[in-house]
Amino acid sequence: MGQNDSLLMVNNLEVSYGHVNALKGVSMNIRKGEIVVLIGANGAGKTTLMESILGVNQPKGGSISFKGKDITNSPVDRNVRSGIFLVPEGRGVFATLTVLDNLLLGAHHNLKQASDKLKLVFDAFPVLGERKEQVAGTLSGGERQMLAIARALMSDPEMILVDEPSIGLAPIIVNDIFEILGKLNREGYTILLSEQNVYKALKLAHRGYVLETGHIIKEGSAGDLLSDPSIVEAYLGA
Amino acid sequence: MEVLVAQIFNGLSIGSIYVLLVTGFNLLLLVAMIIHFSFPVVVVFSMYMAWITLQITGGNVLLSVLASVVSAILINMATAPLFQHIMKKRGSVDINATMVISMGIGMVITDYLSHNLNHGFPIAFPDNFTGAGKGALVNLGLIHISFGQILTLGVGIVAVLGLFWILYKTKHGRAFRAIAENPDGAKLVGIPLLKTGLLSYALTGLLGGVTAVLMAILLGSASPGLGDQLGHKVLAVSIIAGLGNLHGGLVIGLLLGIVEAVIQGYWAGSWSNAVAFGIMLVAILVKPKGIFGTKL
Repeated sequence: MGQNDSLLMVNNLEVSYGHVNALKGVSMNIRKGEIVVLIGANGAGKTTLMESILGVNQPKGGSISFKGKDITNSPVDRNVRSGIFLVPEGRGVFATLTVLDNLLLGAHHNLKQASDKLKLVFDAFPVLGERKEQVAGTLSGGERQMLAIARALMSDPEMILVDEPSIGLAPIIVNDIFEILGKLNREGYTILLSEQNVYKALKLAHRGYVLETGHIIKEGSAGDLLSDPSIVEAYLGA
Repeated sequence: MEVLVAQIFNGLSIGSIYVLLVTGFNLLLLVAMIIHFSFPVVVVFSMYMAWITLQITGGNVLLSVLASVVSAILINMATAPLFQHIMKKRGSVDINATMVISMGIGMVITDYLSHNLNHGFPIAFPDNFTGAGKGALVNLGLIHISFGQILTLGVGIVAVLGLFWILYKTKHGRAFRAIAENPDGAKLVGIPLLKTGLLSYALTGLLGGVTAVLMAILLGSASPGLGDQLGHKVLAVSIIAGLGNLHGGLVIGLLLGIVEAVIQGYWAGSWSNAVAFGIMLVAILVKPKGIFGTKL
């Protein structure tokens, strides 16, 4: 898997909710096999950007392409089929459904391969296998996050968008989640990670983008961003 | 005692009709995200289609059952774009607007039935269709159980079990339940909301068509106003049980049937609606979110 193959290209993307312009011309380029972090305060547009890539929002301008194909106006179910999956902020698991049902929902578009995928997922997350008949509402926060990530794997994605995975989790659990994301990346999954825990995220990532009120104000390798004084001041609380 | 047993059995069979209607209503509410309180009007329309088919074919039961089921599915599918157009336009669920559409559909159908079919007079189903000619299947003192009652109860149980099987054991049922819990979340995992919603229209259409046949057998007649009357009851049962609560609708639907039948057995039958709605009024005052809780 070559490091220079572009997987996702976002070009001058504009998205608005009514009169509010959430994204004002965002461009980014993510290569196959990368883990890229999206840095930004609350309301900067991180979730909007991720949901727009997935196909939730109709962009007002600009374009998105995935694997060389234009997906600017393609609906979520088609994008999921072609290999993009979102692990939403707040996990987005279905509390009244069983763990197994939640996992199978990830494979909704391709249930034929679900039993093979289930084996892999239960190997990687034994706790989910033990609790597969329990409703997801009974899981702890960390287990729910694992379920949300495992559900993404069920969809057989090439690119996983992970929105604020550490929110509401104890630091020790956050370490586990970051370890899982790193492992998935080494297995070949391309990851776009939005995260408030900037230091930890940059330690994990190859590159990063800084989003501020709908604009990308900075991009660079994780190492460069970590040593950038303005980043350190604004996001690392130095 | 015999009166009570007899009336409880009567109540169970009419109650299973309520259960079927409420279940269809709740399914549309949960999955298609519409308040279609005129769904029973669609069902009554299908009773008329069954009746017309009986007239045309000289009493072919099989064809008239088919006409009932097909017409209910077609009407549901034909009205789906109206509801879905609103949802698409608004970008999210707008339940208030769907009520107006439901009201409109109900009025058009009711007007059509009262102007164009059988000159607006009530229709009666022949004995070969209802099985009334055969007399009671069971006779124990005051307890008479007819073929129609057994059939309604039996098919009602099978239909509800079948529906729950679809909901809990199939891919689309899983998608239905995900949408019912969190439509936005369901969209994020790649469930096509409009397409899956359309499936729920087809499924409730099937349920409605079967219900229409059972009503024809059990009641033996229908009138243009029947749909509205049932519409009120279905809405009330769903709210009392807890909007969208399928299990709750099952219990309250059967209970309403039994309460009505018992009132009819001991007091004047014409008061059964008033008393039943009086009880429901008290229930909603005590439990505003429904006895079993809203599932929206």
